[in-house]
Amino acid sequence: MAMSDKIMNDKGLVVRHNIIELVEHWAIALSGLLLLVTGIFELPMANRYYLTSLPGLSWSGDFITSLYIHYVASVVFITAAVFHLLYHGILGEGGMIPRRGDLKSSIEVMKSFFGKGEEPPFHKYLPEQRLAYVGMAFIIAMLILSGLVKTYKNLYAPDMSLTLVLWATWIHNVFFILFIMAFVAHIGAILLKPNRPMIRGIFMGTVRLDYARHRHPLWIEEMEPRPVDEVKMEPEPVDEVKEEIGEDPPPPLSVVSEEAGKEEPNKEP
Amino acid sequence: MSADKKTGLNRRAFLKVSTGVAAAGAGLSLPREGFAAGRKRLATLIDLSRCDGCPGKDIPACVGACKTINMDKIPKIHEPIPEPWPRKTIEDWSKKREVFNRLTPYNFIYVHQAEIDEGGQKRIVFVPRRCMHCDNPACATICPFSANHKYENGAVVIDQELCFGGAKCKTVCPWEIPQRQSGVGIYLHILPSLAGNGVMYKCDLCNDRLEEGKLPVCIEACPQQAMLIGDRKEIYALAEERAKAMKGFIYGKKENGGTATLYVSPVSFTALNGTMKKQPGRPDMGPAERRMAKTDKMGKAVLQAPLYGIAAGVAGAFMALSRRKDRVQGGENGHE
Repeated sequence: MAMSDKIMNDKGLVVRHNIIELVEHWAIALSGLLLLVTGIFELPMANRYYLTSLPGLSWSGDFITSLYIHYVASVVFITAAVFHLLYHGILGEGGMIPRRGDLKSSIEVMKSFFGKGEEPPFHKYLPEQRLAYVGMAFIIAMLILSGLVKTYKNLYAPDMSLTLVLWATWIHNVFFILFIMAFVAHIGAILLKPNRPMIRGIFMGTVRLDYARHRHPLWIEEMEPRPVDEVKMEPEPVDEVKEEIGEDPPPPLSVVSEEAGKEEPNKEP
Repeated sequence: MSADKKTGLNRRAFLKVSTGVAAAGAGLSLPREGFAAGRKRLATLIDLSRCDGCPGKDIPACVGACKTINMDKIPKIHEPIPEPWPRKTIEDWSKKREVFNRLTPYNFIYVHQAEIDEGGQKRIVFVPRRCMHCDNPACATICPFSANHKYENGAVVIDQELCFGGAKCKTVCPWEIPQRQSGVGIYLHILPSLAGNGVMYKCDLCNDRLEEGKLPVCIEACPQQAMLIGDRKEIYALAEERAKAMKGFIYGKKENGGTATLYVSPVSFTALNGTMKKQPGRPDMGPAERRMAKTDKMGKAVLQAPLYGIAAGVAGAFMALSRRKDRVQGGENGHE
């Protein structure tokens, strides 16, 4: 859990992402979208498919212009990605790192989307979000590394080893396709009805408290301090804690836990 | 290793060639190791004071030799050639292979005849035209499949097994040198109607021959020794020397950011360019800026971006840790 996560009982909301996480997410998302579009324009497709005839897209057939925009977007994309790794790494916020059993849980969750079985209680992130995060992070890392090699070649070493150039080019191209697929899957996942309440979170930073209590009880549990007399006792069995979620009176805001989360990050993948 | 071997050039042979004294066979015999691929940066010199267009021949010798050696380069064309969609451009030169007065997929060099008026007197200058093998060729660096590549020896070579024929290389070349043949290539095996449209062809400086220690065939065939190849520095120096001697001009040194082909001419290239109308397969000789240069500054920022991320990430994290510490201390103080 990020240290900014907190319950706002008076507003019926929970802070899910802080401003840094929102900026990171949208910097990567918007620059990634621009990279994707200008990457497509770097294929000689815009003129062939008459995109150059569309209002405002006459530049799409100019490879130098789209390369320039590709570079601009890359600066934002790479800076945000490296910042994300270091910032959350140093703070020890690893809530999006997959946990043991995430694969099995993900299958159960996906089944529940189709009416088979019930969802297990979630932490801040769904198990498939954690898996998708690692997948997307790997795709982004490969795109950045291969893109840096290609940029270096463009600037300083047009006669770089052909083997290296071919590796960089085809890694960039293959992961470009995977990036498109991951992007579509990401949008598809967020549009699923049970996930829709999270959309608010990635725009506003907060989600509804009733939604979070219902679907992310393990996250809420981390944020809600236990009564003082219970703190001195041994931890209760998880099942009993679950039963109590939603039944306890909301804690006073002044004692909202700051230090509860020694895990959790970031942003939606 | 001798100095000659280090530069990749038999100096005696080079000088013979450069002064035009050598007999064609003996003078052009260059050491095998000198042209081994990827080891030496080469450049070519085209001396327009020497090229006479090969009078009496049906085709200039360089053009004829190039056509002959590349006769079977393009595989059999798929018939019918798939119609691309939605833009239905098909470029088929397979039935016009004999064309030699412009660049085509079957003709990588041609000789332009420039009629110059010098103070009322007509002067004819013959200008062999082919790929300039630029120092930083956009045609190669931004090929989306790296089908076009600049080798360490300076040759810019299209791999016809990888090329999709999208003609991006032609679009970004200031001289629009590469030429497309539809109906061949890898695109036929993928989505022939939707992506790709053949293979791009152009001069590859006879890179295969260079690897074998042979000269490019156009250079070997020239009876006037109007074309030379050698160590880049020496060719550049020789071009300067010849231009100075003839009070002439050089083209290719700065064009498109520099090239591995230098033209030396007794007539200004502005005058020569005046005789050239840029049209398909017939490049002009005007000023050619390197358009990619506009992206260089931003490209450098891309290479620096990981550092921006590291600086921001570390600074941000330590600020957050500091705030967290202050809050914890504040909390402790509050409880006291």
